[in-house]
Amino acid sequence: MVSLQLPLPKINNRIFLHFNPKPASFFSRVRNCSRAFPCKKKSIFASWTAADAIFGGEEETTTTTAEEEWSLPSELRPELMPKHVAVIMDGNGRWARQRNLPTSFGHKAGLRALTDLIDLSCKWGIRVLTVFAFSTENWLRPKLEVDIFMNLFECVLKEELKKLMRQDVRISVIGDSKKLPKSLQKLKTEVEDTTRNNSGLQLIFALSYTGQYDIVEACKSIAEKTKDGMIQPNDITEAVIEQELETNCTKFPHPDLLIRTSGEQRISNFLLWQLAYTELAFVKSLWPDFGKADFVDVLCSFQQRQRRYGGRDS
Amino acid sequence: MLPVHIPHVRLAHLNNGCLHLQVNLRFMDLGDEIQRVLRSVGHNLVKLLRHLLWHLLHLAVSTWYFGLDLAHLLQHYLISSGLLRNYKVLNLSNLRCLAIVVDSEEAQHTSRVVELLSWLSAIGVKHVCLYDMEGVLKESKEIILKKLGDARPPEVADERSLFLERKHMVLEFVSLSDGKEGVAKAASFLCSNYLKGASSGEDQEPVFTEPEMTSALRAIGCGGPDPDLLLVYGSARCHLGFPAWRLRYTEIVHMGSLKSMKYGAMIKSIRKFTMVHQNYGS
Repeated sequence: MVSLQLPLPKINNRIFLHFNPKPASFFSRVRNCSRAFPCKKKSIFASWTAADAIFGGEEETTTTTAEEEWSLPSELRPELMPKHVAVIMDGNGRWARQRNLPTSFGHKAGLRALTDLIDLSCKWGIRVLTVFAFSTENWLRPKLEVDIFMNLFECVLKEELKKLMRQDVRISVIGDSKKLPKSLQKLKTEVEDTTRNNSGLQLIFALSYTGQYDIVEACKSIAEKTKDGMIQPNDITEAVIEQELETNCTKFPHPDLLIRTSGEQRISNFLLWQLAYTELAFVKSLWPDFGKADFVDVLCSFQQRQRRYGGRDS
Repeated sequence: MLPVHIPHVRLAHLNNGCLHLQVNLRFMDLGDEIQRVLRSVGHNLVKLLRHLLWHLLHLAVSTWYFGLDLAHLLQHYLISSGLLRNYKVLNLSNLRCLAIVVDSEEAQHTSRVVELLSWLSAIGVKHVCLYDMEGVLKESKEIILKKLGDARPPEVADERSLFLERKHMVLEFVSLSDGKEGVAKAASFLCSNYLKGASSGEDQEPVFTEPEMTSALRAIGCGGPDPDLLLVYGSARCHLGFPAWRLRYTEIVHMGSLKSMKYGAMIKSIRKFTMVHQNYGS
């Protein structure tokens, strides 16, 4: 991935609107740089991802300050940022296999990419970030791989908790927690309680979750209420189901944008109910390679579509 | 007289000194001015060069994308004309159900929808689920079925016959009311059954499962197979509320607007689908 930043005059971006958005590439960077930007960076081409930090060493490419690195790129408009972004983090295993590494290395690199995305989301004003960490179907994977992933997730959550508190992030976990290891269940409760009053980004982990599970659990809750006489079966509407879904833990339950990495073009049983009007962005990069440049590219495409079709209820 | 001259001389000296100073100053001013002008010219030149470079870069990018579009057009033409061997015969054994989402505004153009369906029928797609939010296609159902001739709605189609042996295409018409509203009705159906069980003395917690929800949806008329592939024709890159319960593992492809639909693009998407391997999370 490359990032091209030049001091640019304002140019009319309309000529690019009819092009289909492409995955992160040199050409998409240039296409998306459409506004004047006082360039302070000396180095023009930079390519760095979380994966490189683990396995390639950090490249000294720029002399930018930390603030500049995290500031909203000039090609993005703050008022058009999506409120809720959902992510299917696909491709950890393939990433590891491409490098002849064990799958656990892929998960480690993937978690690193996730922490970077969380940092960017905090800085760029995204209100809710929902990540599909582990599907119910993933329990069918080899036990060793599942155990390693759960341990890794627990470790990273403990390590990052202080930082997330400093960033005022509120953490929620949705999914069938009964299947999780006891230690992770306990950690989940602690983390949710600790961050409950935070008012920044809401980070939702979908762990042992599927969209169909969510709908069925909502129906179970409603059935209990019908038994208690709180509601009649004939009064069950979409709004009633909506209130019982696990995404009711947030003010913005419907994602504006869904990103799926690794080139697969399906939802894979994630947030089925909630994704009715969500912009779908299928990105070719594998998840550990998904970095700032890819995120900017996806957001640019989203904002261009938003600009053309106006707002929509989320 | 010297005193008279002295002042003059002095004056002259002074004047000369001042003159020197003035001249020097003027030279300096001139020098500064020239430097300033040169700097300004240099700055403007650099600015001009940057503008030029930027526009050249945009020209290069535009040319690249233009070239890509031309390449796509050429490929679609070659696919349509049957010159590309790989696209001539498609293995549709994995494509049991194909869904098409159409923007409601574009769905008004029934002739285009019929053309698309006839393409699909010609290549052997056996089950198509047509969706638009507002139910425009549902209202045009009779016209579409009549124009196609060899398509049948699910209630009439012989579901007993093996999928690949069907001679006609099964055509489903679905709208927003079959989506979330359908799930709400199914939930109501399940809760009613649960209450009946509770009132007859069976005091147990509701044990709903995903297969039970699927059965409930079928019972209220909102059932149907999960599409393997969903083609979205419209400007928005979303599925516009297609029945969510059926979209678990559906491949979703955005095709652009219906008015610019191309046979080659459709074939390319279907062929790409036939080569996808799904591990369903395991």
